[in-house]
Amino acid sequence: MANTWGYGAMTNSLGDIQNAKAIIIFGANPAVNHPVGFGHFLKAKERNNAQIIVVDPRMTKTAAKADYFAQIRPGTDIPFMYGMLHIIFKNGWEDKNFINDRVYGVEDIKKEAKKWTPKKVADVTGVSEELLMQITRVYAKSTPGTLIWAMGLTQHSIGSSNTRMAPILQLCLGNMGVEGGGCNILRGHDNVQGATDMCCLSHTLPGYYGLKDGSWKYFAKSWGVDYEWLKGRFKSKKWMNAKGFTLAKWYSGVLAGKPGEDKIDNAGTNLKALFVMGNGITSIAQQAKVKEALDNLELIVLADPFVNEAAILTDKKDDVFILPAATQFESSGSVTATNRSAQWRYKVVEPMYESKPDHEIMFEFAKRLGFYDEYTKGMLIKENKKSFKFPEDATDEIARIIKTIGLTGWTSKRLKFHTDNWHLFDEVSLRGIGPVKGEYYGLPWPVWTETHSGSPILYDINRSVKEGGMGFRNRFGLKHDGTNLLAGKNSAPKDSANPDGYPEITAKNIEEVLGIKLTASEKKRIGKNWKVDTSNIIAQKCMERGIAPYGNAKARAKVWTFPDKIPMHREPIHSPRSDLVKKYPTYKDKKNHYRVDTKYKSKQNEKDWSKEFPVNLITGRLVNMNGAGLENRASKYLAALTPEMFCDINPNLAANHGIRNGDMMWIHSPEGTKIKVKAKFSYSVDEDRVFIPFHFAGHFQGEDRSAMYPEGTKPYAVGESANTVTNYGYDIITQLPETKGGLCRIEKA
Amino acid sequence: MKKFMFLFIATIFLTTVAYATDSQIWDSMRLTNILEYGKENSLHLGPLFVKLQSQYFYKIFFGILIGVPFVFFLHYLIVGPKVFSHDGVKIYAFSVFKRIIHLLAVIAFVIIVPTGLMIAFGKYFGGGTIIEYARHLHGLATILFSIAVIPMFLFWFKDMLPTFDDIKWMFILGGYLSKEKKKIPAGKFNAGQKMWFWVATLGGIVMIITGAFMYLQDFDYGIAKFFGISQIDLLRATAITHNVLAFVVMALFFTHIYMSLFAIKGAVQSMITGYKEEEEVKYLHSTWYKKLKKEKKI
Amino acid sequence: MNYARMKFYCDEERCIECNGCTVACAEAHELPVGISRRKVVTLNEGVFGKEFSTSVACMHCTDAPCEQVCPVDCFYIREDGIVLHDKEKCIGCGYCLYACPFGAPQFPRDGAFGTKGVMDKCTMCAGGPEETNSAKERELYGQNRIAEGKVPICAAMCSTKALIVGDEQEVSKIYRTRVASRGKGVQGAPYGWDKAYK
Repeated sequence: MANTWGYGAMTNSLGDIQNAKAIIIFGANPAVNHPVGFGHFLKAKERNNAQIIVVDPRMTKTAAKADYFAQIRPGTDIPFMYGMLHIIFKNGWEDKNFINDRVYGVEDIKKEAKKWTPKKVADVTGVSEELLMQITRVYAKSTPGTLIWAMGLTQHSIGSSNTRMAPILQLCLGNMGVEGGGCNILRGHDNVQGATDMCCLSHTLPGYYGLKDGSWKYFAKSWGVDYEWLKGRFKSKKWMNAKGFTLAKWYSGVLAGKPGEDKIDNAGTNLKALFVMGNGITSIAQQAKVKEALDNLELIVLADPFVNEAAILTDKKDDVFILPAATQFESSGSVTATNRSAQWRYKVVEPMYESKPDHEIMFEFAKRLGFYDEYTKGMLIKENKKSFKFPEDATDEIARIIKTIGLTGWTSKRLKFHTDNWHLFDEVSLRGIGPVKGEYYGLPWPVWTETHSGSPILYDINRSVKEGGMGFRNRFGLKHDGTNLLAGKNSAPKDSANPDGYPEITAKNIEEVLGIKLTASEKKRIGKNWKVDTSNIIAQKCMERGIAPYGNAKARAKVWTFPDKIPMHREPIHSPRSDLVKKYPTYKDKKNHYRVDTKYKSKQNEKDWSKEFPVNLITGRLVNMNGAGLENRASKYLAALTPEMFCDINPNLAANHGIRNGDMMWIHSPEGTKIKVKAKFSYSVDEDRVFIPFHFAGHFQGEDRSAMYPEGTKPYAVGESANTVTNYGYDIITQLPETKGGLCRIEKA
Repeated sequence: MKKFMFLFIATIFLTTVAYATDSQIWDSMRLTNILEYGKENSLHLGPLFVKLQSQYFYKIFFGILIGVPFVFFLHYLIVGPKVFSHDGVKIYAFSVFKRIIHLLAVIAFVIIVPTGLMIAFGKYFGGGTIIEYARHLHGLATILFSIAVIPMFLFWFKDMLPTFDDIKWMFILGGYLSKEKKKIPAGKFNAGQKMWFWVATLGGIVMIITGAFMYLQDFDYGIAKFFGISQIDLLRATAITHNVLAFVVMALFFTHIYMSLFAIKGAVQSMITGYKEEEEVKYLHSTWYKKLKKEKKI
Repeated sequence: MNYARMKFYCDEERCIECNGCTVACAEAHELPVGISRRKVVTLNEGVFGKEFSTSVACMHCTDAPCEQVCPVDCFYIREDGIVLHDKEKCIGCGYCLYACPFGAPQFPRDGAFGTKGVMDKCTMCAGGPEETNSAKERELYGQNRIAEGKVPICAAMCSTKALIVGDEQEVSKIYRTRVASRGKGVQGAPYGWDKAYK
């Protein structure tokens, strides 16, 4: 999404969904994953007569409340959306003005959409022509329409194409930057968005600054740390700018060199140590490989409130350390919700027994590893203090430094005030009254200055920049193939000094774009561009002139740096349709994909997987469990709801394999692994697919390893991990595992 | 042998109290049961049970509890007991085994009937622990009874089959309404005893089964499905059956006690020593007497 | 004096089978695992257009049939319609279960030798005959939230506010508003109300 229009986050808010007239949900299950948030969907249905359309491989709880349901074959969302666009363009339902002024590259999309006739779409996706036409008509004609997605769309080998296709659909319908519209990706935990914004990933500095020298230098300055010292922490300069391993494939870093394993480029060494902090290791595909990697590490440290499954999954006997980390109730700080709003989380109880909050664990490590001063200096800079107060000073440090997503306004004082006064905000519009009048709840970023109101709806040009409006970001240059990439005439946010498209603001172009003159002292202090402007002058001036600091450009349907310039359909690496694999093959193998040579084509063509593994494998969530289930399976009543690992299987499919309701069955994966689970008859899945929840762990390929838990720490419910049988497959850009599009073979146990 | 067989089966039955992981009452059936309750084409067992239990059962129990003994009290005063001489030959009627089994049944019944009444009238005892223990005793004594009932059923089955004598016996009501001593048409067992036998054994087995259903409550042995009704309806039907049959059992139980302990002096001896008085048999079981005479047993 | 008449209402257009009510109730009253005073039941699972869920517990009926059939008369009905019972009088006979249209009474297997214990059911968070908010009341019946002026915890925890409880006037008002704004798919009366309330 970031590659389409600049920011890769939910564009509207949950409450805003109540303004929608049509809600289309691809690969998400908010009734299960966001039960409280789903109330907004239901209210929209109830009060706004909104039509809910669900496109999902199985009849989920969300689909039960939907008006239209398309039971799609996993991994075929792009043909479906092209099918919708085909019908939209044919009938002229697209928003022509919007496309003209604010989107680049729609001609190529039109050409591709022409190929996807409803008949072809029916063949590839399994959704009938009539239903496709019905859904398209309802969605295109009931505006504003909002598009919801989650893991079902992103966790594919073409996930990065999927997440471009959905914005393109919304752009063509003119559903962006309006109340009740937008692309709303529903993030999971209460601070997943926050973790994403801080980029706890291996390919960028916090705030999406990337790993270029310019960014490193900016951070060095902002942290008060010597740039050369930072450089010296790496083996050589090259590695300072190189992406690291991903969570999906770190195991290759350990196993490389063994026969059959992917090669790596890791400065000539394998990974030796693993430090896990609050992560369910069993939530990654290829569990058998993860286990092997754990066994081959020299050091494993696991910091979690409950015993991490990695501890019992591995056979490693020595050098496995479990650190008790404090839970969310025993620590405080800012958390960022899925709609980019921040709330302040207050500590409710002091850390119990010997558990320590995460930051304390990290500070203690920093002390012992010798860089505590450098590590914590950033918190002292703003007020030139001698000692810091955690977490308030950390929050203020973030606000001081991160400008790319406009966190300047996120001072700890403001965030606390909002949380303390959450009753003063409207649940749909997020507007505040009384002492918080003129502000939006939680100050959804970007919050350009310390007094800015927050931006609840991204790319909304019907509001002034001061009130949270903005156009699309100018992130991809000024021209491409001779076409101007800036927005069209009169398509700037309301009350803007510059009514047309304009580039992102730099020290060089600020006077011209804003139509102002800088004083000499301002010229001396101003930063190179809006992202690294420590003086905040650019942001201030922009607010005065109604200009968005990041520019006003067109969103692009064409991403010329990607292997597929416009999103193209490619069959999942393990596809049940070998005929379609020939027509829509996957990518070529990618070398040094986050340091690992990742297979694509060679895996897909290794053999005709559909012969031996004819059943689609779908994974998903249960309402009473979370992630790897570490916490919830240790809770009595939650575990009692689903005490055993199971597999939802269609009675017809089960009968063909002699499996009765409640029988044990094996699920075999193309990688040679297998799990033993209980069969549960369900009509929510078709005859060509099965569904398994991924919250269980403790069993491994039929073996019960729960005896390995330290005394008194075994959870109430243990079972097989779904990720033991999820297939080898990774997104071409992000290396996200293809857990939502795989194959398996079932057998009675 | 038969005794052991039955004991074995009884224990197996009780130990397979394996509660299916899927509750037959509290899972998805709950909604269908709500829809069914009081519906046009349903069995209406729910409302029926409520009506019977809240308005009629306790009245009928009370009626039988007071009425039957009262009637016999009157009979004793007006007609009086039958007395037979104890000087004649003693006729061997019941073996040790039969007497022991009967004794087990006696103990069982003596616990079951009063505790059952305590449950039915629980509120007058203030409820609580005493009545709860009464309920548990009611169930324990049932086990005792289950051990006795099968052998009893088998060894007296032939003797208790209806004959033409029984019709004649019915017409004169066994001769108990007159003080005369005359020959009554009856085999080893008269029609009255036969009625009691069938009610106590077959009826008793039904009581055991219905009682077990109510005790186990949430089981899945396919029984409800066999009848094509839901588990809760099965339980309601069993509750109604158990109560209604209890009226019959109770009434005949009181009768049997009166007959064996009061109406015929010394009759109880046949269950203690195993021997009946010759005169008693000659008059009250005349057909049997004739048969014994023919077979030269006397 | 006009007392409120407390009623439960579960809107199956909003119930998503999240089981929040079930878990909240079990947690608040520290119930043994296996007793679910409140349960979410789903019919036609997996069939599009037909699947629906609703949350069932004791409906606290007018003329409660359980109260009518109890042989030890252990039930008592409060002025506000909440039906409660005395666990110390109960003998665990099961008649209330047979009488109940909603399957609300449950019997934990915690008697001697795993026999059926005394009856347990939803109290609408109103405790029992013991002294209000005493330790004994909490142990036998769970929390008494009504005495503290709080809403029963199941409705308080409902994610989508499908389950609401309160005075019948208020609940009916909410029901009517929802029905009116939906404008379609209206059922005659809330589920079970025709059986529970006269």
